[in-house]
Amino acid sequence: MSMLSIYQWVAIAMFGIGLFGVMVRRSLVGMLIGVELMLNGAGLSIMAAAQFTETAGALAQLSTLLVMGLAAAETTLVLAIVLIVDKRFGHVESENVSLLRG
Amino acid sequence: MQILAHITFGLYLVLVLGGGMVATGSRSIVRAFAGLLVTLVGVAGLYFLMDAPFIALMQILIYIGAVSVIIFMAVMLTMASRGEGYETRLKTPQKRILSFLAGGIMAILLAGMVAKYPLASGTTPRNIPVEELGQALLGPYSFVFELISVILFVAMVGAMIAVYERRK
Repeated sequence: MSMLSIYQWVAIAMFGIGLFGVMVRRSLVGMLIGVELMLNGAGLSIMAAAQFTETAGALAQLSTLLVMGLAAAETTLVLAIVLIVDKRFGHVESENVSLLRG
Repeated sequence: MQILAHITFGLYLVLVLGGGMVATGSRSIVRAFAGLLVTLVGVAGLYFLMDAPFIALMQILIYIGAVSVIIFMAVMLTMASRGEGYETRLKTPQKRILSFLAGGIMAILLAGMVAKYPLASGTTPRNIPVEELGQALLGPYSFVFELISVILFVAMVGAMIAVYERRK
């Protein structure tokens, strides 16, 4: 059992927990927390692959940084969407948001 | 030293998995958020353990500093004013079991792939100096650097336009 596999399993566990969170939550904020967990798992996996194998190390570290930047951008947009949904529907539960009129 | 590393790894593992459990299992959104913070700290610790202090500090700065504040804003602006910090109705047990299966099966499949195709890996992480990262950002990967800043900019402006209301 190599170090890389151990870190990968931790990352996969985070991904699985995050996917479960996205599925099981009703509120959009709870789903966002699940998505953050999944993205962090992905970052951890990339990082472990960089540090324990003979790949281009700088490339992989920058990829992790890129994942973080994308997560920040995604969170900002989700905040805007949550605010709009809250203003229009009066709650932030995903299942009752079914109106498509502009 | 080896034993110390194992103990630290175990500690961070507990932080990551325990925080993740709280983040998905707790009915209170604020508690779930606190669980997410614990997980993020644990991952930052794992980055430190992997000899990547720069990325670990970025994890603390970007995730624990910025992203968590945005999530907290979302909670504050939408749920707190109505006293709705809790998920008032949970999903039906059937849906919860299906959600658990979705996450579990996905994780088991991926873990099986990792176990089936092990890569040759060293036991000690490599140390990549920050200078090398900076050179890479300004040299071969400068386009990525520009692109991520454009994406961030567009996301911020888009968010502002989306929630902007013209004064009547």
